[in-house]
Amino acid sequence: MIEFNDVNAALTLLTSSLDAWIWLIPGLAIGLFFGAMPGISITMAMAIFLPMTMYMDFLPSIIFLTAIYTAAGFGGSVPAVLMNIPGTSSAVATTFDGYPMSRAGRHNEALGVALAASVIGTLFAYILLMFLIAPVSRVVLKLGPLELFAVAVWGMLLLGSLTGRSMSRGLLAGAFGVLVGTMGMNTAGHLRNPLELPWLFDGVPVIPAMMGLLAASQLIGLITTDYLIEDEASRKISLKKIIGGMRLALTHPTIILRGSVIGVLVGTIPGVGSSISNLLSYSETKRNAHDADTFGTGNPKGVIAAESANSSSEGGAMATMLALGIPGGGATAILLAAFAMQNIVGGPSFIANNKDIVYAIIFANFAQAVLLLGIGLGFVYIAGYVVRVPLRYLIPSVLVVSTFGAYAIEGNAAGPITLVVFSVIGWAMVRYGYPVAAAVVGLLLGSLLEQNLIRTNQISGGDFIGYAMERPIALVIFALMAISMALSALAKHRRKSRLANLPDQSM
Amino acid sequence: MEEKSGRIVVMWGHLLLLAFIAGSILYYWLDARAVSLRPNNLILVQPTAILALLLVLAVVPQCFPRLSEEEIERGTEPLSHFARIGALIASFTAFALSLETIGFDVATWLFMIVGLYICGERRWWLNLIFSTVFTVLLIYGYGAIIPFPFPLSIL
Repeated sequence: MIEFNDVNAALTLLTSSLDAWIWLIPGLAIGLFFGAMPGISITMAMAIFLPMTMYMDFLPSIIFLTAIYTAAGFGGSVPAVLMNIPGTSSAVATTFDGYPMSRAGRHNEALGVALAASVIGTLFAYILLMFLIAPVSRVVLKLGPLELFAVAVWGMLLLGSLTGRSMSRGLLAGAFGVLVGTMGMNTAGHLRNPLELPWLFDGVPVIPAMMGLLAASQLIGLITTDYLIEDEASRKISLKKIIGGMRLALTHPTIILRGSVIGVLVGTIPGVGSSISNLLSYSETKRNAHDADTFGTGNPKGVIAAESANSSSEGGAMATMLALGIPGGGATAILLAAFAMQNIVGGPSFIANNKDIVYAIIFANFAQAVLLLGIGLGFVYIAGYVVRVPLRYLIPSVLVVSTFGAYAIEGNAAGPITLVVFSVIGWAMVRYGYPVAAAVVGLLLGSLLEQNLIRTNQISGGDFIGYAMERPIALVIFALMAISMALSALAKHRRKSRLANLPDQSM
Repeated sequence: MEEKSGRIVVMWGHLLLLAFIAGSILYYWLDARAVSLRPNNLILVQPTAILALLLVLAVVPQCFPRLSEEEIERGTEPLSHFARIGALIASFTAFALSLETIGFDVATWLFMIVGLYICGERRWWLNLIFSTVFTVLLIYGYGAIIPFPFPLSIL
């Protein structure tokens, strides 16, 4: 599985000159800063610095961009924990328990947990990548639209486990999100633009809508509150507690391992990647936990599950990108662009001819993960001060920064308008007990679901069942989904009976 | 089974939200059908819309819960709370709509002043200083990071 001659060559490449290393720390710092800025995605951070890499050699340029990628992935969890703003779709599940932890005064611990889980997830993913890059690339080639549809449906069914007190409201929020996500021109060329607005041709702007549903809606609801954390004593920033949080993450190796494996495997699937892996990992952890009822109210296990999965997805996406030359998402597309700028074509021939460079990239990512631990610790210490800012200042300031981000993403007023509309919808949904996260997942997956369903329909000629019988991987995914849902239902039922048998201690 | 005591309450806000969701879904479904009736257009939208409308019907009864007097009292919020939320939403909407017309700098400064006041900052001098410093830092800071030209009037 590992070719030692190439490993030696990679180590020689990395140790023969400082060029590869001097960009590592700046890359991490840039990634952390941009990842933590609401409205600036990993892709945007990498795109801004892509032109700089034209003046670098190939290896330093890739190491610089992957350092931004790694750090921005973790950076996104900082606003997710502190302000319920997921910087990227991959940090959605981090908000579920990270933000309630913050509101309960456990922000130091939550940030420490997220940092440790991210670092271990990244390390684990690249170790796996080192061993599995060749076999993984063979499997990914076999995935068709039905398999991608199956994975997306699995993501949607997770809504059942994400819902709060009412399953019907959760499913309604999810279905509403899916329908919003299908607006605009579909892959078959049908234009659905009910409001007849030119900027809806490409669909509803997803990032501003997501920011509105998850973040701005919460901020509006906090208008009568003075601080994110009401208790003054709990507002302190404590390095000791952050490190305590990191230690806490280490006490849950199974959750980290499960999250990392899910992250790597789902991360390899183009177009799906980290936006689903964090939800899958969260849901699986919740299903297996004895304290599943406390998920969503500030259980650190939820943060560990989400962060280990989204950071390890990077390794999976890199596997697909390096092995097949297929970008799994925006970030890997930029890496491929960096390859092209250096006149290098990614894909099977790149791996076959340049295994030393592939191993060098993997080793450099080990170093990135270790360095991220130190730099990230300093960063979260500073970022943690946000809980000490009175909400009367924080609310308008974050709304303005989010609006700037929404405008920058869309390049016109469509971004800010989408942000406002979805803030109001999100606020109303939160108020009446609808899980906005379900609507966000639907929004993210709507077009992916439709696109793969149309392709499956075209390939199968309408005979879905006959076609599915010829696709063993799809059958395995559907079977896993059914088993996972059945186990979830069973676990829920058992919890309910256990609670019903408890003596009434309420009030 | 023990019957819950109390009286039935109509949650008008929840009903309004459901009406909005159902109305939007119905409108979108009909609009999609008007575009084309081919499977490639309706393969996902139609079944999802039908499912969503059925779910709306399932949720409607939840808008009429039976609550005890204590629960009703606990759930009642002062009107001033809603007035502040309404004012914040209105000013946020005005901010988003005016960005390109009056410029990001002026719109941000005005929204910050109004937003801070609505959120509870009553010291005018502090409000003005913070809004001005925040606007200047944000315009120059964000402008340095994002190469996108934000329309400006003064800065």
